[in-house]
Amino acid sequence: MQRLLNRRTTMMVGIAAALAVVTACTPTEAPKPIATSGVEPTGAVELWHFFTDREAKALDETLAKFKAKYPKVTLTVKGGQDDAKVTTAIGAGTGPDMAISYSTDIVGKFCAAGAWVDLNPYLQRDGVDLNAIPQVARSYTEFRGKRCTMPFLADAYGFYFNKGMFAEAGLTEAPKTLAELSEMAKKLTKRSADGTIERAGFLPLFGFYENSPSHFAPMVGAKWLNDDGTSAIGSDPAWKELLTWQKELVDWYGYDKLEKFRASLGDEWSADNAFHKGKVAMAVDGEWRMAFLKDQAPNVEFGVAPLPVNKAERAGAGYISGNVIGVSRTARNPEAAWALIKFLTTETDSIVDLSNGIRNVPTTTAALTSPRLTADPAFKVFLDIFANPNSGTTPPSAIGPGYQETFSEFLQGWQSGTQKDLSAGLADVDVRVNKMIKLAG
Amino acid sequence: MTQSIPSGRGHHMLGFVARHAIGIAMAIMFLAPIVFLLLTSFMTSDQTLTANMWPQSWHPENYVEAFRKTPLLRFIGNTFLYAILATGFMLLASVPAAYALAKLRWRGRNATMVLIICMMMLPPQVTTVPLYMMWANTGLTGTLWPLILPMLAGDAFSIFLLRQFLVTIPDEYLDAARIDGCGEWRTLLRVILPMARPGIAAAAMFQFFYAWNDYYGPFLYTSENQDAWTISLGLASFRSLHHVEWHLVSAATLLTMVPVIVLFFFAQKAFVQGVTLTGVKG
Amino acid sequence: MPTAASQGGAGRVRRSLVTLTFIGPALIGILIFLVYPLVAAVYFSFTRFDMFNPPVWVGLDFWEYVLFDDPTVRIAAKNTLVFVLLMVPARTVGALLTAMLLNAMKRSRSIYRTLYYLPALAPPVTATIAFVLLLKPGTGPVNTLLAQFGLEGPGWFNDPDWAKASLTLLALWGVGDLMIIFVAALLDVPQALYEAASLDGAGRWHRFRYVTLPTISPVLLFATITGVIGTFNYFTQAAVAGSVASGQVTSGSGIAGTFGYPENSTLTYPMRLYSIGFGNNLFGAANVMAVILFVVSMTATIILLRRFKTFSGGDS
Repeated sequence: MQRLLNRRTTMMVGIAAALAVVTACTPTEAPKPIATSGVEPTGAVELWHFFTDREAKALDETLAKFKAKYPKVTLTVKGGQDDAKVTTAIGAGTGPDMAISYSTDIVGKFCAAGAWVDLNPYLQRDGVDLNAIPQVARSYTEFRGKRCTMPFLADAYGFYFNKGMFAEAGLTEAPKTLAELSEMAKKLTKRSADGTIERAGFLPLFGFYENSPSHFAPMVGAKWLNDDGTSAIGSDPAWKELLTWQKELVDWYGYDKLEKFRASLGDEWSADNAFHKGKVAMAVDGEWRMAFLKDQAPNVEFGVAPLPVNKAERAGAGYISGNVIGVSRTARNPEAAWALIKFLTTETDSIVDLSNGIRNVPTTTAALTSPRLTADPAFKVFLDIFANPNSGTTPPSAIGPGYQETFSEFLQGWQSGTQKDLSAGLADVDVRVNKMIKLAG
Repeated sequence: MTQSIPSGRGHHMLGFVARHAIGIAMAIMFLAPIVFLLLTSFMTSDQTLTANMWPQSWHPENYVEAFRKTPLLRFIGNTFLYAILATGFMLLASVPAAYALAKLRWRGRNATMVLIICMMMLPPQVTTVPLYMMWANTGLTGTLWPLILPMLAGDAFSIFLLRQFLVTIPDEYLDAARIDGCGEWRTLLRVILPMARPGIAAAAMFQFFYAWNDYYGPFLYTSENQDAWTISLGLASFRSLHHVEWHLVSAATLLTMVPVIVLFFFAQKAFVQGVTLTGVKG
Repeated sequence: MPTAASQGGAGRVRRSLVTLTFIGPALIGILIFLVYPLVAAVYFSFTRFDMFNPPVWVGLDFWEYVLFDDPTVRIAAKNTLVFVLLMVPARTVGALLTAMLLNAMKRSRSIYRTLYYLPALAPPVTATIAFVLLLKPGTGPVNTLLAQFGLEGPGWFNDPDWAKASLTLLALWGVGDLMIIFVAALLDVPQALYEAASLDGAGRWHRFRYVTLPTISPVLLFATITGVIGTFNYFTQAAVAGSVASGQVTSGSGIAGTFGYPENSTLTYPMRLYSIGFGNNLFGAANVMAVILFVVSMTATIILLRRFKTFSGGDS
């Protein structure tokens, strides 16, 4: 019986291995050495992206200029794709030559696995100066020394406040520090006779709209990962500072009252957004909120500013995240694909066109200051946030956003009050995140 | 049917009123979210998802807009092709399999039944990867065939459903047919098919409606080839990263529900016919 | 054509071949769509696989992680078990009662049937969004209506204590598919049996218990087993409901960000499987979870098959 079992197990494993070889192995060619200098880009390139509708049209206009410049490249473009599909297709060997992704979550995996090629050799050969890209955007496009993506426009997150309510309360300027934020939040809050919140100066719950630890981290300059890739959440005292401040404000409102208030608010992506409706006086949000406000709530007078921070020297900070573009290792004509990346992410004219068309933040210093860039004073605030060295992002990791998710789970218990021991809780987050990172290899 | 016991006329009326009172109350509950979609389909984009659920102004042109924005007619054509072929293939393979599992005696029958039920157990999130790789090797990705061809092997849910309906048919009918000299295939076609019509109609409808509404399957296999898109993919094109045009989504959703509602309304007759047949013979 | 009664070796082979023509395609289906993905899942559960490079054998690492090191898996597993216990009976009983009500109707039957089936015809994502917004505390019409009667409505999808019950309501709302199956099954109950029972003086309950139930028991078995398997794989509605209730009807990136809202009360096992495997790139762990789910589903199915055998008196 024992022997039978063993033989069977061996057989099963054998079958499985054979299957895996058949199924899992996509053409794993060794990376081709790149040409030494100036080859003319030719051949077919297929690009997948996630844009639809108006944004896809804006991209098409810029791509048309690329086609005019490089007539020997035949470009096929397919919009409306998502990351899971791109991953599956590249894994199966039927993917595109290049892709634009909406999140930096895939950077760690795609760079580490070599699914997208390292662009460093191309950058060096063509003498592209990466310093033209602000440090924060450089950091979310590379992983473990491999630059497998380039930043393709970005989103910047800052601080919104309702000017009408500020005037009513005798306030003029956005809060500069966390202490000021708390103070103003309390001043701007309105309650009914029975204690129900009618208007919140600032709704501090994590999980509400854009309130996430990643978007709040630049307020205190909190660090996510150490240089060796392990979790820094438990050891960076900045996190404790942020959470202690947040919990104090939550408790001032009362967690149950806040949750009830939150449940009564409209959807973030509708005209009933709490900031549009004057249900909250201040909020953390991305630069795109301005377009929604102009369109859906033209009567709301609002101001924008960088995030409030813990120390004066950290002023001007905000959260940055962006889209990324990369070349698949199965690309048929890598030189042509590289030419397109270079055109879209390093040439000022195309970056400015894309930013004006899609209304996201451009990613090079030259484009940020270009006179052709349409930017009113409010949009300029977000351009400054993007260029500010205090701004932060969420670093690529082998487990995607796994470290943020594990942390967010702890934060639910923290803000509701079921988790009272901050140090122990954060240490536990470290243990869990490090285990996952180790497993991901 | 429950009225077969003799009862007074007053009692009869009371039962009638009670039944319809419950029936109408339930209809309202079942309809409320559909009405919500209907109202949303007439709103401006800005009013959607807000607390105000009655359109401030009515915009029937949303329905025209939904058609103008995407080639919905083409997608409807693809969807019909997918749904009809998938349903036809499914029936072709599943009815005989269900018959063998319900009415033929052979070794390994119960084990096969369990294995077929097992086909529904693996979460699609993990089976996707090896199956997509398999289809990538055949070069059929980018088309709807990876969703249609598997139906030639039958569908686990349908086989199980049909089998459960077939076991309720008394063996005497089969024996009679066999004594008349019918082979098993003839018995299936002549005796079983007409008697199992309600079950077969139900299985066919489920398969058809599943294919009609399927989003993940067509997205996985055809997202890069718009020529092969189905309606559900067309609906998704009304959304972008930070914005969804819910008024158009609602309008297009309701429009695409119309054909299946009509189909369902008429397909119901299959049940009624099924009952008269069993009624006469039983 | 020889009759089925013909005996002897040739007849037996012939009969086996005939049987094979019936069941053959399904057997091929089992090989391609069950055995192949199952073997692949078992194999991947012992490997680190990034989908681009050949898998690396890591032994029991991912098994250890899923079984002992990930508290979220336990929360998700518990939630899914609760959903099975809530939804399967609710849907089965709900569908059966609705089907009986429908069959008691006369001329208006087909209109009612169509109305009740409508929710099951709507695309699940759109339908879920509509349902959650109707129940939204504060802004939805349901609580506004309750308030007119002086009742304070619950927090529905926004209250961790109510979220599971709310999802069960949503599942009941889409009960039309199961209802149709019961409608068909009930029509199959021979009228003569009811008449005989009535003559014997059996009341409504007795007729239901001793005539209706045994006759439809194969269909009841089907409803229970597919219900259990389906609820073990419950994903889309829970994911969409969480994102709508949290105030972010997400349209593009990061649907996993609102998984489980509020307070992980709606996080199901397949949702954790998805986020761990595809969000966090631990594909091996996702496969461990899939294999465990498969074993649990199979055990539940076999138990149910045995139970029903005693219940329906031997057949099956």
